[in-house]
This record gives sequence, C-alpha cells and structure tokens, in this order.
Amino acid sequence: MVTTSSAVMESPASASASGKIQAALPGRSPRTAGLPAGSAPATAAAPAGATLIDIRNLDFYYGASQALKDISLEIEDHKVTAFIGPSGCGKSTLLRCLNRMNDLIDDTRVARGTIKIHGVDIYQPDVDVIELRKRVGMVFQKSNPFPKSIYENITYGLRLQGVKDKSRLDAIVEKALRGAALWDEVKDRLDASGLGLSGGQQQRLCIARAIAVEPEVILMDEPCSALDPVATAKIEELIQELRARYTIVIVTHNMQQAARCSDRTAFFYLGKLIEYADTREIFTNPANSQTEAYVSGRFG
Amino acid sequence: MNEPVPPAAAPGPDRAATFAIRKKRVKLLGLTVDDCIKVFFGGNAVVSIIVLALITYFLVREGAGFFGQNRQNLQVYRQAGLEYVDFIRTQSDEHTALTRYLSDLRLRALRQLTETQGLSLDAANTALAPFDDYSGKFSDAVEPVRGLVSELTEVATAIKTKFIVNEDKKEERRQLLAEGKTAEAAAVVITSVDFAAELKPLLGTLPAYQAANAEFTAKLTAVLAAPPTLPTPELTDRLQRFATLARDYLATFPAVERNLAAWDFRQPVPAAQSFTAFIFGRQWLTASFWQDWYGIIPLFVGSLLVSLVALSLAVPLGVGAAIYINQIASPREQKLIKPAIEFIAAIPSVVLGFFGIAVLGQALRLLSQQSWLSWVPGFPYSERLNILTAGCLLALIAVPTIFTLAEDALNNVPRAFKEASFALGASRLQTTLKIIVPASLSGIISAVLLGLGRVIGETMVVLLCAGNRIAIPDFTQGLAFVTEPVHTMTGIIAQEMGEVVRGSIHYRALFVVGLVLFVVSLLINFAAQKIVRRYRISIG
Repeated sequence: MVTTSSAVMESPASASASGKIQAALPGRSPRTAGLPAGSAPATAAAPAGATLIDIRNLDFYYGASQALKDISLEIEDHKVTAFIGPSGCGKSTLLRCLNRMNDLIDDTRVARGTIKIHGVDIYQPDVDVIELRKRVGMVFQKSNPFPKSIYENITYGLRLQGVKDKSRLDAIVEKALRGAALWDEVKDRLDASGLGLSGGQQQRLCIARAIAVEPEVILMDEPCSALDPVATAKIEELIQELRARYTIVIVTHNMQQAARCSDRTAFFYLGKLIEYADTREIFTNPANSQTEAYVSGRFG
Repeated sequence: MNEPVPPAAAPGPDRAATFAIRKKRVKLLGLTVDDCIKVFFGGNAVVSIIVLALITYFLVREGAGFFGQNRQNLQVYRQAGLEYVDFIRTQSDEHTALTRYLSDLRLRALRQLTETQGLSLDAANTALAPFDDYSGKFSDAVEPVRGLVSELTEVATAIKTKFIVNEDKKEERRQLLAEGKTAEAAAVVITSVDFAAELKPLLGTLPAYQAANAEFTAKLTAVLAAPPTLPTPELTDRLQRFATLARDYLATFPAVERNLAAWDFRQPVPAAQSFTAFIFGRQWLTASFWQDWYGIIPLFVGSLLVSLVALSLAVPLGVGAAIYINQIASPREQKLIKPAIEFIAAIPSVVLGFFGIAVLGQALRLLSQQSWLSWVPGFPYSERLNILTAGCLLALIAVPTIFTLAEDALNNVPRAFKEASFALGASRLQTTLKIIVPASLSGIISAVLLGLGRVIGETMVVLLCAGNRIAIPDFTQGLAFVTEPVHTMTGIIAQEMGEVVRGSIHYRALFVVGLVLFVVSLLINFAAQKIVRRYRISIG
C-alpha cells in the first residue's frame, strides 16, 4: 500500500549529472543570503524542486531483521524534508543511510537498491566515505559537543581537512556561529568548554560545527527532542534560515514541528514509506488512511 | 467478573476489619529481618575497614621503634670512634678509586699499543714501564695512612664490641629479673663502658696520622709532578684529567685533618638524623662487622627504576592494545585478544620469575652480546639478572591492569563523540587520536598509575630477577643503568624478614621500608582516583 504522490515523479533522472561528489561543490547554485527569520516554507525563495538525493528500492538490514523495505524517494535540493512516523519505523535508519553512518554499526547492510547524491551512488565501493560525510553533515538527537572549547569544536572538521590558517579559522568560526544564531551568546567565551553551554546552545553549537565544513546536506536526527519549547523554537527558526543554503533532512517525532518547518514530508511505518508529499498535503489532505490516522493522532 | 459485587454500602467497621495492612514482624535479638540484612552487609564493610586500620596500626607500631634504635646505632657509631676512623678510611678509599682510574688507563694504553700500533705484548709492556712506575708510586703512597686505618679499625671495633656485650648483658639481666630470678640477675656482671678512656689511644694517634698524612701528601705531590708520556693525545688527556682529580683529592686533606681534630665523641646525635639517615641514606648494610647502615635510597631507587622500565614497556603495550581492541579490532579479534591479555594476570608471579631466570634473562644477555646491537647503551652485559630483566617481566604483570582499565576508559567515552567526529568527515585514526583518547585521557592516566602501583608492590619477580645487589646504579653512562642489578624495597623485606631477630633494629628497619612502600602505594592510588574524579567528562 505504498502511495507516492505524483510530485515525486517529476525529474526522475536527477538533473545534476556532475560525476563526482567532489566536483559538485564549486558548481553549486548561488546561495540566497540569509532569509528573514521565520519566513513560511511556502514563500521561501529556494530553487524549485530539483532532485538532490535519489533513493531507489532500498532494503536495509540490521543482522537478520529488515529495517527498511523497498524505500524509494527523492529529496529535493534546498528544501526541508521531514521524516515522520512512529518509533521503530525506520526513519532514523534511512537518515543515517544518507551519510553512511550505519557503517559504524556492526552487522548492518544495504541489501538492495541505491542512494544517489548528484547521481553518484554513495554505496559504491570506490566512494570515499570521509569525503561523503564532509558533504552530508549531521546533527544528532542528543547534543554532542566534544569536550573541547567552543572554538575547537567548530574548527575540528576544518583542522581535519588541514586548514591551519588562524585568520581563516577565526572567520569561519564567526560565520558558522552566526549561521547557527549562536554568535552573540558565545562570542566572548569562545575558549570556554562546549559542554558548559545550555542544552539548546549545545545543539546550536553542533549545528554550527556541522555547517562550518560547508556541507550541501544537513541531516538532523530529532534535533529538538531533548530541548525545551523555547530552545526548540530557536532551532526551528534556525532551520528556516538554513534552508536557503542547505538541503535539510529532519527526522522528528513532533508533527507540529514537521508541519511548521518542512516543505516535504515522508511518513514511514514499519520500515515502509507510506506516503511522501508536500507537507501541507500530508497534514491537510493525506492520500493514505494510515497517514491520516497518524497525523491526526489516532495511532502511533 | 462473575464474582458478586460487594454491596456498595457495606457498614464501616467491617471494611476497616478487612483492611489488614498491619503485620507482625519477626524479631531476632530485637532486630527485624531487614535490620539483620543491613547488619550482615554493613558488617562485611566494617571488617575490611578494621583490617586495614589494624594493618596500618601494626606497621606503624613495629616501625616507629626504628628511629629510636637507629639513633642509638648512630650514637654508638660516634661514641665508639667508628666515625673518627671512617674519616681516614674515606680518604684511603678515595685513593683506591683513583688507583682504579689509573689501571683502567693502563688497559686502554695497552690496547692502543698492541691493537692499533701492532706492538707485541712484551714490547707494549716495556713501553708502558714509565707509566707503571708512575702508577706504582701513586698507589704505594697511601701505605702509611692505610696501615693506620687498619690499626684504628681494630681499636674502634674492640670498643664497640665491648659496648654491645654490655648491652647484651643488660638485656640478659632484664630478662632474668622479669622471670623473677634475682640471684642469677645479680650474678651478671656489667661494667659500663667509659668511652673517654677507651677512646684515648684512638685519639692519641692524631700526631701519627698527621705525620703519615704529611708523608702521603709529599709522595703524591712528587708523583704528580712527573707524569709519564702516553702514546695518543686522547690518553694524555685522560692522564691530565687524572692529575686534576688527584689534585682535587689532595686539596681535601686539610679538611680531613680538621675534622679529626674537631671530632668529639660526646657530641649528641640529633634526633632528626636517625630519620634523615634512613630517608637519605645511600647505604643499606646489615650484619656488618663494622657499622650497619639503614639507608632506603638504594632500595627505593631500585624499586623506582625497575618500575619505570616496566612502565615504559607496559604503557605503550597496554594502552596500544586497549586502543586496538576498543577502536579497531573486529568482534572476533576482541573475543580472542581480550581474554588472552587478561589471562596474563592469572600467571603466578613466581612462575614469571622462574621464567625470567631460566629464559628471559639468558635470552636478553645473549641478545646483548650480539655485535650488531653493541650501539645499545649498556650492551653487552654479563649480569643475567638486572633491572632490564625484572622490568620486562614486571611489564607483563602491569599490562593486564593497564589494558583492562584503559579499555574501560575508552569504552566510557560516549558513542556520541565518535559519531559526531565521523559525521564531520574524520577518519577512524583521527577520531581515535583527536577525540577518543583525549576524552579518556584521565582514565588512561589513572590506569597507568594503578599499573605503577601494581608493579611497585610486586615482590616475587623482583626478588628473583632484579639481581639483588644493594647499590645505587651508575647513572653516568646514561641509559646503560638498566643493565645493572639492583635490590628493591619489596625484595629486601621478603628476603630478610625471615632471618631477623624480632624487635631488633634490622627488623624494625624492614617495617619502616614496608611503611614507605605502603605510603607510596597509597599515594599512587589516591592520585589515580583523584585524576579520574577531577577530569571525568560530564555531558548534558
């Protein structure tokens, strides 16, 4: 009973045929400078739905148990895509497939299907996982700044890439912290430990850390589930600003959050993609009865 | 659901009667079962604390008497004139050391002549005749002083023996009195030693010494004035160096004379000296005919060096293995390696020591004698049992401790750090070195400290394999000190405790060594705990 909305089907052969992931970065579409905070998704000036990530017939296993069953969906460039569904439905698993974080878990495998980013299958043996993860950044459910200073947290990814120039690092730190709406709160204590910040600040620090390496995609795995409503609001506001420059995929349990800040929403249930459509569509006029039951709070 | 529903309006008293939540408690000696359980487990905890307190108390009680006895020991050393004689003896010993320098020089010169210049042995010996004459004169010059030393030694020993015999008799009488045998006690003759009178002949030799010393000085000056020529500039330099040393030596003579003249047996030994003589004493000499010294430095240094060598091997091995197992190894390798390393801890240390003597010591010595390894400091060496052998085995003992604790520490690093690092495009090596290890550094340091504690307290292996020579190693040759035998604090206790007379100064000295060991271990453990607590990562 997989119902995919027709919107998915447009532009199937992903337009960007730029061969390598590496080659893709310079040729990116010009960035729209920071949108006004809180601008509604529908009015956002993101480029129209070109497919960036193309997932086809994906089967994924943890040992013997199948976590994802024949998933096919296309994630559009410069949009916020939300994955929703009850616990254990596979939405986090799918998210972690997108930057191959599941590789770190023993005994996991992609049994069938492909995930293509810019047309490159990221599960091909010749793909450099490290390079992939630089392009596809991630923010985790629980804020996890390193036990280092704020400054070192943000420069960590850059130093790994061999950036040593102090003035360049300084500039990037400021830019990343401004990008994560954290600069004004921490600019006087960059040398303080990242662990000394509040929960919401820590999560924004993690976002700053992710955007410091200039990824194309940011994956967010329930980024607000451990935060209070005020901190959550700030993160959501931030997501609205980031969508102008990055493609964002967010996993959330909070349906209001999905409704508030995403352009497209995918509903998963028991490892299957049940419905994938414009967010407004999903929440106002779902095609599938299970989706309707879930978004209206009758199960899940 | 088929049971009849009780009438809603049941009368109050009946419901109260069925509301039976009170229960009679079984009491045993006035304690409930809960109390008994509490007492049982609490009791176990208390027992261990009591035992610890008893051990500490016993160590301190047995050891504390040492300082009084050692003070008396030093007092006798002075009163019986041993100290006086030692002034001169030291002078004579230093001369011996210089003579050894000369014989070493001759050996070098001989090798130079026969090997490099191709002279026959006879020819070389002939060529060295002037040098032999020089060194012969130098070594003979000490004779008058040395003769005096052996004379005085006898005098001083006699006084000391007299004193000790008297002390023994006093002790005998005390015991007899304690047993109530008054008559026998009265029969024990005690003649108190009059040190002033006894020392008169000793002190009377001062003019004789001054004369001997003057002769000695004159001879040495004469010898030094006419140095022989040696075949190479390098050897000449060495001879020059010898001359400088000898002149420095000569310059100390007036001080010796002054010391002798100013010496007074009545001068009391300060109480602190019995302590400093122990803590800073460079000699541990027992059952000596002359004077017993209880200085912990050679033992302490021995323990320390063996432990440091052990740690410098065990830290890379243990921490490296822990990082490998925790970060890199496949689950199958983990299952294989982890128990294997932890199994080392199950080997009895006496077996390890046995292995050290029979296999490792022999193998290392053979290795040291390979010509292609001669660049290693201290190689080749002939002492099979030394710091290196003991250190290698102790490393084996420390590895399981360090490995297990370091692995725990690495394991305690939240997975989130690792994931965050990978998500930023870090390789496995970068993540391990830049995130995991720094985050678990406090745990790793405390693992190393606990490994040190384990090693410094280890007895059997060092007793069997460290060589048991009570001497401070020679550090002048750099790292070569690792090939020298040493004795350790644990080793000396195990070796000598069985032979000492209970209550004697030697017995108490061993207790103080044990106390030092105890304190050192305590400090190490304390530091390890402190570090873990202080730098534990808190998240959220």
